[in-house]
Amino acid sequence: MTKIIDIDIKEKVYKSKNSNLSLLNDFRLEVNTGEKIAIVGKSGAGKTTLLNILGLLDRNYVGSYSLFGLNTNEMNLKMFAKLRNQRIGFVLQESALINSLTIEENIKLPFLYAKYKEKSDVNDFDTVIDDIGIKSIIKKKPLECSGGEKSRAVFARAIMMKPQVILCDEPTASLDGENKERIIALLSKMNSENNTTIITVTHDLEVANTHDRIIRLERRM
Amino acid sequence: MKQFNQSGVFIANLDPESDMNMGEIDKNDTRQVYDFLNENMKYALYTDGFIVSIPNEYDMEVSFAYLNEEYYSTSKQFELSQGRKLEFDYTLDKDEDIEIPVLIGKGLSKTYPIGSIIKVEDPAIQKQVNYRVSGILKPNVKHSNLYSLNSKQYYNFSVVIPVNKEFINSSNVGLQLQGLFDVIVVQASESSINELKDIISTNLGLKFNFYTQDENFEYYNDFYIGSLKLIGVLTALICIVLTCVAVWSSLASIRLMIKDFTINLFVGLGYNKLRMICYGYYGILSFINVIVLFIITACSRYGTWHRKDAQFSTYGIFGVIGMDWLALLAVVIFDAVIVGIIVEIMMWKIKKVPISLGVLQ
Repeated sequence: MTKIIDIDIKEKVYKSKNSNLSLLNDFRLEVNTGEKIAIVGKSGAGKTTLLNILGLLDRNYVGSYSLFGLNTNEMNLKMFAKLRNQRIGFVLQESALINSLTIEENIKLPFLYAKYKEKSDVNDFDTVIDDIGIKSIIKKKPLECSGGEKSRAVFARAIMMKPQVILCDEPTASLDGENKERIIALLSKMNSENNTTIITVTHDLEVANTHDRIIRLERRM
Repeated sequence: MKQFNQSGVFIANLDPESDMNMGEIDKNDTRQVYDFLNENMKYALYTDGFIVSIPNEYDMEVSFAYLNEEYYSTSKQFELSQGRKLEFDYTLDKDEDIEIPVLIGKGLSKTYPIGSIIKVEDPAIQKQVNYRVSGILKPNVKHSNLYSLNSKQYYNFSVVIPVNKEFINSSNVGLQLQGLFDVIVVQASESSINELKDIISTNLGLKFNFYTQDENFEYYNDFYIGSLKLIGVLTALICIVLTCVAVWSSLASIRLMIKDFTINLFVGLGYNKLRMICYGYYGILSFINVIVLFIITACSRYGTWHRKDAQFSTYGIFGVIGMDWLALLAVVIFDAVIVGIIVEIMMWKIKKVPISLGVLQ
């Protein structure tokens, strides 16, 4: 198995006027290609912070991070943006859609930032929306859709560029049982068919149990 | 203008307090003044605004401008695109047709090419004259009043007529009086100028002032530059306020759109690309602004052609001339500075908000 993520965080500090909050002290994580990792923990333990760092959204930490065999400390912001566009997918809560765009425009958003050559090896839009079952809503605006439909649209956007890593942030938080099952099934399908690495931050143990490994983060006082 | 800004040069100016009744002045009165000028002084004479209807391609009313050799040789403003310079060595004392070489503006050049004759009754000497076209002026050759430097009249539809002493003596009181209003006395002393003032006062009953060009500049600076400075300061203040409002509204937009920005950043938007998008957006707004200004300027310039306003009709794209392009260039530079300020402040503000999954929660 190829190691796709190798992160060693010495310290991540949030500075505020009155105090400094230190998170993820001496945290180390190695993830192989195709693994499914669930990250659980109480609020404030650093789950979202870890996902920000893994998703190249936050570089203000002490430590090292190797992604796809590349040392992220040696990359610039442009390279980060390119990796987020090409090789990382974000499955977020249903609210992560732009309300002024249609569902189709939201799903195709990553294409805006991909160069022509990079658009050749992507998932076919029609196939994706058929598979995910949102064909009937693509011309609608997010505010006209149900929570489940929006969650699936967010999922569709995350997989359009055939990412190697999908980072999920509470993907089922506001969904009912049926829609939760659907999202879990879609993630499993991506993992099994494309060998996509999946890292999910969740409070839901039922969701966490569908993953290969569960990592529990504790808040150190 | 700088040619007249020399010591010993005095420029006439009718005192605003002086009462004038044209009807009371006859040719004998003005003749006395010109006799004094011819005998005792060297002077440059220029007068225009004698409107004549002669056929031309654009149906413009044509303005006759009269000048003497001293004015012509000193001012150097009559640049030619074709033909020869003016000659002043002619005589009106002939039985046959009188022929005088003239310069014409570009707007008349198709109807009256070099060598052609403009047959007209001259409004100044009220005689039938054959004006032979000896030269064609460059497009947009202009004249500014010596004590109102912002004023400009264009010669595109003018006929520039050389006048010698004989012509002045034969002309009517209108040309003689108007010529005196702007007469420029060169190589004169204060005492001779005072003597001229007395002659004018005695014969015409008018009070004339004679200023050096430096004094004219001071007058201009007092009344015009002062106003310009005030307008400049007000404009700068308005621009600063509008820039602040634009920055404030942009920052307010960022606050409202931070979620949308964040989603775009997740799917591959980089700060460099975002900066380019912002510059593109504000660049388009600035471009529209410049285009609107260009249209307003062009309409204003083209309007003079539409209204047949010969003295202000200019050549250029839709009549837009060099000074207009310079003003538009200044607007482009100014817009670029404002766009730079707005975009960089926006980017600074956006970067201050860390992209984080937390923004969406």
